[in-house]
Amino acid sequence: MSDAWVLGQRALREGWRTPEALLPTLFIPLFFLVVNVGQAAKIFPSASTEFLYGQGYGAFQLPSSLLLAGSFGTAALFLVEEIEGGYFDKLRATPVSRSSIVLGRLVAEFAKALLIAVLMVILGLIFGITIASGVLGFFLLIGLTALWAVVFVGFMQLVALKTRSAAATNSAGLIFFPLLFLTPNFVPRDMLTRPMEIAATLNPVTYVMESLRSLVLQDLHWASIWPGFLVVAVAGVLMVALNVRTISRYD
Amino acid sequence: MSSGTLGGLMSMSENGNRPAAVEARGLVKTYDDVQAVRGVDLRVESGEVFGFLGPNGAGKSTTVRMLTTLLTITSGSATVAGVDVAADPDLVRRRIGVALQEAGLDPRQNGRELLILQARLFGMSPAEAAERARELLALVELEDAADRRIKTYSGGMKRRLDLASALVHRPEVLFLDEPTTGLDPSSRLTIWDEVRRINAQGTTVFLTTQYLEEADALCDRLAIIDDGRIVREGTPASLKAELRERLGLDADPSLDDVFLDATGRSRSKVAGDVQEVTA
Repeated sequence: MSDAWVLGQRALREGWRTPEALLPTLFIPLFFLVVNVGQAAKIFPSASTEFLYGQGYGAFQLPSSLLLAGSFGTAALFLVEEIEGGYFDKLRATPVSRSSIVLGRLVAEFAKALLIAVLMVILGLIFGITIASGVLGFFLLIGLTALWAVVFVGFMQLVALKTRSAAATNSAGLIFFPLLFLTPNFVPRDMLTRPMEIAATLNPVTYVMESLRSLVLQDLHWASIWPGFLVVAVAGVLMVALNVRTISRYD
Repeated sequence: MSSGTLGGLMSMSENGNRPAAVEARGLVKTYDDVQAVRGVDLRVESGEVFGFLGPNGAGKSTTVRMLTTLLTITSGSATVAGVDVAADPDLVRRRIGVALQEAGLDPRQNGRELLILQARLFGMSPAEAAERARELLALVELEDAADRRIKTYSGGMKRRLDLASALVHRPEVLFLDEPTTGLDPSSRLTIWDEVRRINAQGTTVFLTTQYLEEADALCDRLAIIDDGRIVREGTPASLKAELRERLGLDADPSLDDVFLDATGRSRSKVAGDVQEVTA
């Protein structure tokens, strides 16, 4: 684990020194938050919309933006650069465990996602959003967002290791959009049309979104919260295992 | 099999009981239906500078990548620093230094950070790693640039840093894959001096190059690989003498001539096909 942390520190330096790659992960989700609220807030006034629990539509949309912020996967693009530039082989030629090479980037991605999520939630608080689940809910919100980021970058790293192609890895990141739009993104699941409701129910991202949304809109409502954590735990273990397996067989 | 290769095998059997720095037996690498390396036998003695030559695509880098644990071995076996490459790759990695083609460095770190990281990955404490980085930066004369991002380094500086990073753990065997390709003459001579100095301290050097003058200047022995097979092996002098005798020449041929003879290429064909081998 110490090797993973040493490599994680390097990945964090890399992120810090590439603000042009980091800043869009903050601004693009905020842009979508503003646009979505601007387009739909009048349709769902807080006073008469039950699913908002007395808050504005921005509170309902914040989880979508947090998920988007955790779905850029820039660490995987850095990994492709490293493969193409030869530094990845330099790391593979050291006696460090293959899992540490994978975990180093995931640790850094977790830390970066924590920072981005904190900034976004603070901005939300400034604009009147309340975290109804309190301080514990705040930490769960931030933690779940960061864990989702680890899952997503794990998926993109897998593509990077398999294809060794920046174009393929970049394109793979676009999978987030169908995953995001097949969720109860604009209204709760029970208000979707039947086909969309079925698609959303089958989509694991739905449970992460509903968990985040519950933390923003309701007091700690564990029945809504745990499925999101279960999804990121199962997907996280799967992604780490597949990453380690792929790097161990990397030729 | 050429007489040069026979000479090489003779030296293998003569030295068969001494521990070899690198030993490969019947090394094969196959990608789908393509055999990139077709049964390479090699023995590199401890303390040698061993040159590994061949035209583009002959199998040089593939062989090096198998010996350095970066590629799996399809068949055959190899030991490096006395350790079986396939059976214990981690132990091999602890005993070798690797500077691959196109210095593989992280452009967003500075030189000092890169060396410290490398030293930490070989198990040094932060203080030991910082001290080792300082020593190596002095050694490769990059102290002034130590805290600059690597992306601002020239090609020669990157190669020197890459060389330094391969030395952090004082390896027994140093693999250098075309360490001077693309460098200006001055930088090339600096790298040559470094290779000599490293070897003088007891490190075995396994050097691949396309520059025959480089092999002539640096290597105690060399092997030429073509189409995935070793086609000549011996000292530069013995290879030249063998060709002189075989062709009945009045004077010793150059290593270029040995290379062209071994790989079945003519000077006119080389001029059109692979100009770099005529350097």
